[in-house]
Amino acid sequence: MIDLNKIDLLISEKGSSKTALIPILQAIQREYNYLPEEALRRVSETTAIKPAEIIGVASFYSQFRLAAVGEHIVRVCVGTACHVKGAGLVYDSLRRAFNLKEGQNTDLARKYTIEKVSCLGCCTLAPVVQIDNVTYGHVTSDKAAEIIKDFESIKDSKGKKRFRKADGSEIQGEIRIGLGSCCVASGSSDIKDAVEQTINQTGLHVNLKSVGCVGMCHQVPLVEIVPAKGEPTLYSKVKPEDIKQIVASHFQPAGRFSRLKNKFLNAMENIQTDQQWKGIERYELNVREKHVSSFLGKQFPIATEHRGQINPLDLEEYQQHGGFLALKKVFSEFTPDQVIDKIKTSGIRGRGGAGFPTGIKWELVAKQAGEVKYLICNGDEGDPGAFMDRMLLESYPYRVIEGMIIGAYAVNSPEGYFYIRAEYPLAVSRIRAALQICRNNNLIGNNILGSGFNFDVKVYEGAGAFVCGEETALIQSIEGNRGFPHLRPPFPAVKGLFGLPTLVNNTETFAQISFIMRDTVDRFTRIGTEKSKGTKVFALAGKVARGGLIEVPMGMTIRQIVDEIGGGIANGRKFKAVQIGGPSGGCIPANLEDTPIDYESLTSLGAMMGSGGLIVLDDTDCMVDIARFFLSFTQEESCGKCTFCRVGTKRMLDIMDNLVKGKGQQGDLEKLEKLAEWTKKGSLCGLGRTAPNPILSTLKYFRDEYEAHLNGICPTGKCTELVNYSIIDNCIGCTLCVTRCPVAAIPFLPHEKHVINTDLCIKCDACRQVCPVDAVVVK
Amino acid sequence: MVQIKINGQEIIAEEGISVLKAANIAGFTIPSLCYNEELGHFTSCMLCLVKDNANGRLFPSCSVKATEGMSITTEDEEIREARQTGLELLLSEHVGDCQGPCQVACPAHMDIPGMNRLIASGKFEEALRLVKQDIALPSVLGRICPAPCEGACHRRTVDSSVSICLLKRFVGDENDIHPFEPHPLNGKRVAIIGAGPAGLSAAYYLQIKGYQVILYDRENKPGGLLRTNIDPELLPASILDREINSILSTGILFKGETEINKSLFQQIVNQYDAVVIATGAIVDELRSWGFQTNPKGIEAKHNSYETSLKGVFAIGNTLRFSRMAVRSVGQGKEVAWSVQQYLAGEEPTGEPKLFNSRFGRLFQKEISDYLKESANSLRDNSIDIISNGYTREEAILEANRCLHCDCRDMDNCKLRDLSGKYDANQRRYAGNVRKVMTKHFANSIVFEPLKCIKCGICVRMTSKYQEKFGFSYIGRGFDVQIGVPFNESVESGLAETAELVAKACPTGALSVKN
Repeated sequence: MIDLNKIDLLISEKGSSKTALIPILQAIQREYNYLPEEALRRVSETTAIKPAEIIGVASFYSQFRLAAVGEHIVRVCVGTACHVKGAGLVYDSLRRAFNLKEGQNTDLARKYTIEKVSCLGCCTLAPVVQIDNVTYGHVTSDKAAEIIKDFESIKDSKGKKRFRKADGSEIQGEIRIGLGSCCVASGSSDIKDAVEQTINQTGLHVNLKSVGCVGMCHQVPLVEIVPAKGEPTLYSKVKPEDIKQIVASHFQPAGRFSRLKNKFLNAMENIQTDQQWKGIERYELNVREKHVSSFLGKQFPIATEHRGQINPLDLEEYQQHGGFLALKKVFSEFTPDQVIDKIKTSGIRGRGGAGFPTGIKWELVAKQAGEVKYLICNGDEGDPGAFMDRMLLESYPYRVIEGMIIGAYAVNSPEGYFYIRAEYPLAVSRIRAALQICRNNNLIGNNILGSGFNFDVKVYEGAGAFVCGEETALIQSIEGNRGFPHLRPPFPAVKGLFGLPTLVNNTETFAQISFIMRDTVDRFTRIGTEKSKGTKVFALAGKVARGGLIEVPMGMTIRQIVDEIGGGIANGRKFKAVQIGGPSGGCIPANLEDTPIDYESLTSLGAMMGSGGLIVLDDTDCMVDIARFFLSFTQEESCGKCTFCRVGTKRMLDIMDNLVKGKGQQGDLEKLEKLAEWTKKGSLCGLGRTAPNPILSTLKYFRDEYEAHLNGICPTGKCTELVNYSIIDNCIGCTLCVTRCPVAAIPFLPHEKHVINTDLCIKCDACRQVCPVDAVVVK
Repeated sequence: MVQIKINGQEIIAEEGISVLKAANIAGFTIPSLCYNEELGHFTSCMLCLVKDNANGRLFPSCSVKATEGMSITTEDEEIREARQTGLELLLSEHVGDCQGPCQVACPAHMDIPGMNRLIASGKFEEALRLVKQDIALPSVLGRICPAPCEGACHRRTVDSSVSICLLKRFVGDENDIHPFEPHPLNGKRVAIIGAGPAGLSAAYYLQIKGYQVILYDRENKPGGLLRTNIDPELLPASILDREINSILSTGILFKGETEINKSLFQQIVNQYDAVVIATGAIVDELRSWGFQTNPKGIEAKHNSYETSLKGVFAIGNTLRFSRMAVRSVGQGKEVAWSVQQYLAGEEPTGEPKLFNSRFGRLFQKEISDYLKESANSLRDNSIDIISNGYTREEAILEANRCLHCDCRDMDNCKLRDLSGKYDANQRRYAGNVRKVMTKHFANSIVFEPLKCIKCGICVRMTSKYQEKFGFSYIGRGFDVQIGVPFNESVESGLAETAELVAKACPTGALSVKN
């Protein structure tokens, strides 16, 4: 039985119109962890929302659960970066650990429910598993039991320590801690606690400062020490227990400083090599680097300007760094038409993927008659390998808001929405807080900065549907409907939210507006290529040595990004391809690495700018598997409205499933091409129209791999059904693999060469991972 | 008003209407499954794709307004392929049979489920009328047919097939009357050479349509191999005579004891408006008459049975020897179509071949839902062909075992019509896994979710008519289903709108029960 008064209370808070439906469902789920039918019936009885609408919406968005779940939710990220690093094997091993039968997702004790999530946005920690709020990075398939054990040991001992400030009378320096999601996921809040503790214990006069994402997500958690005098030092992959030494080494009397620091660094090297990290690798500790100039040097921050220097919510600091200057300039110097002219002159195109010229969109909205127009910031970043929007919203909320106000002024919209994925709780809370601060400072609301212009913004949390990144589906979602797109025209600019003209721009687009308007437009047009101006933020992940968020001028080549920024391929493997644009994009092979990246070049190669996911693949990656991965994502995310996408993607996936299992048949590739062609041509919206791209691009550049699969061979050994595990002669008989094997497929024969019984082997890869001498081979 | 060009034709269309509507008003039909006049467009099925001549791109015409200067093409090779592919994708997840598998397997494509239902409700005369639409000799075939229909019967998955052959015999034996009033004679005369099962059948279907048939045979009695090659214990002469007499009684002129040779054949060809050869396997002789032949028999076109000689058709063992009389009987019916088409000055195409959705075998899990419409009793194997056949009570009992797997909406199904029109192949994009079918009976309607193509008409209609629960999309993507919220019954979902919705459903997913 559920408490219906509670439901009534929720409804009275959220409202009883259809637009309140998704917020009501989110509130119910927060309360019960799922949506009890009784609660939903209550909603239909006490509001004007019909049962069919409630079920239609509740069953559409993946965030909502219609069946009861276990006490804890285990989320296995199966985003692109996690996928290429073996998330599938991790998922399988966790299922085994919970003893789940097919179709079951909750263990018998109803303690744990396992779910796949499309992306937690911690791509550089891949593969990632989240249990409730604890995130485990770099999980391997043999660690399932340990993760659960670790979680059991810490789950009850969570008490938030309160932040206490150093008094600041004599500041010796500043300690900056990254608070982007990657950093937080990798344990930066523990680091923060450790720093506070150290400061309190030592009585040092240093500022502790939380900063937004630096983009170096491959090195998280990051701690930067900025002494009042001297060069700043950046520490990466820090553990809480390191803090005391790090702080002590920097903030000591000057004479002993450098000597100690050197000594400390030497000591740290020793710790790294000598000290076995016994626990679970909640984060990894290996290489320590100082300034990573090559990572940051080639970049050009516009949307991410002043990265790592400003506290996301510190309005004063944002203003000190030029924040809201653009807005003031716009209000005092330009009419809305002049703003639109400047945006058009700048040549900026939508950063959401398709690259529609922003100025023209603004002009179209501005041209529409009527008092009420809406503005929406599209932060429904659903690409399973991208987290640019999340980072921008978390780290530069004011910059995005400033861009939105300028846009609203240009098109004369009094009301705006932030549409943010519910999977980004940190971004949601930052934006809410930033909006409140703006409201308090007359930056939004009535008569903004005395300009006479009124504009306010609401936050709307998405509920888990990739298709809602498509603007017409997004609008349906805000209106409280299933995220069914509709055909354009009419464009939202003409007939959008609630049937009124609506400007929808991507988060990154808004984040670039203030830069364009602050100085001369020139400063922006000088960057980039002829048709693609400015910069683009990419989420660089996969097999690259240094992954993270990068912002580069348009026109930079793939090689520059992979080699110079990314530091080349990790572990000395060979660069094979780069997947750009996520599920809508395609794979570009290594031999085209000198291609400069802009909208046109990518499209001509069969890829797409898309949302900006950039996954680097090496010679161990199977292209058929990668293509299947993306297709399975879009197939899962298809809204189901139009025939070609709903059934076409499924039938393509059927063929791909057969190929990776060695069950392909002659004629399959031709059938695949036909289906791809028609899904592209016949689908209603961008999701379906681009869904075949990963298939078509890999068929174009790696057809030989498809043909090999037709013959039952996976050249890279990635497709488990086509390979076998065996042990070669350099086995030392250590039995490590024997103890790790979950199905007893390796007999216990100490000091003898081990043997794998392939009939029993489930190809979970655990043996290969633990073997100290690489004697387990996959063929 | 706006001026647009459709298929090269200038058209003035009302401002604001869709391209689909503008085209329809101008007389160009654009197919659609999800468009509903009352509910408007939804852009789901995508069969209404047409081409924008300005850029060569396809767009769904239901959702795009006709605007000044637009030039579109409503049908060309590419558009046909788009529609065919769309239909094939829909068919790949459309689980259900149009005609029952028995009817598809029957060489004469007799409406077996229809016959079973009429028998089950005691309407024996109506049953004969239905049977005689496809089979001119039910009493005869009811004794000698190897019954491929029974091999295909879904009831076999439950226990054993419905005893179709004996039921057909019962229908033939039970009625002593000829069920159809022949059309008045139209003045055209058709000669049929050979009075075996093929010739008799062709004669029957042409005569009742108003053609004067002259049926030649070298024997003094019609019947051909039925009279000479079948054990009289199986097929007593009295039964054969009775059924042949009923055929001849329609006005057919029988000319027995007439041996046809080349010159007589020439005379016949000159004398009559059309000729049907049903002489049986006399290939050498026929070659000498001037027919193109192959080692098996006369060369004739597949569906129309036209031979190399104009106005001369050939059926039965003349084409290829077969022991299956039902095949010859079926061809007799089919050639009647061709002859009529020929005599009307049309290109002979034979009996129209309709698209048939097939799903293969029933799953064990599906049996209980299929049994909802039939008697859960076993076939009585004590009655066989030699015995006296069914009593009325036994026939009703047996006919009630039929599972009603044929689709209620097969004659009123847009999906079927279009699949036929665009020559869709249901197997081309068949998936790896077939979902499990269910049948839900509610008041006056039947709901079969796996026949649903997710056009959303029922969802939109129940919402428009303010159903309390209505139908809803449940889930998304490929796994989306149509159902009633909160696991309420179909009855409560369609409390007010059941028949309205069933009639609007473009497939047999929702159909009126009777």
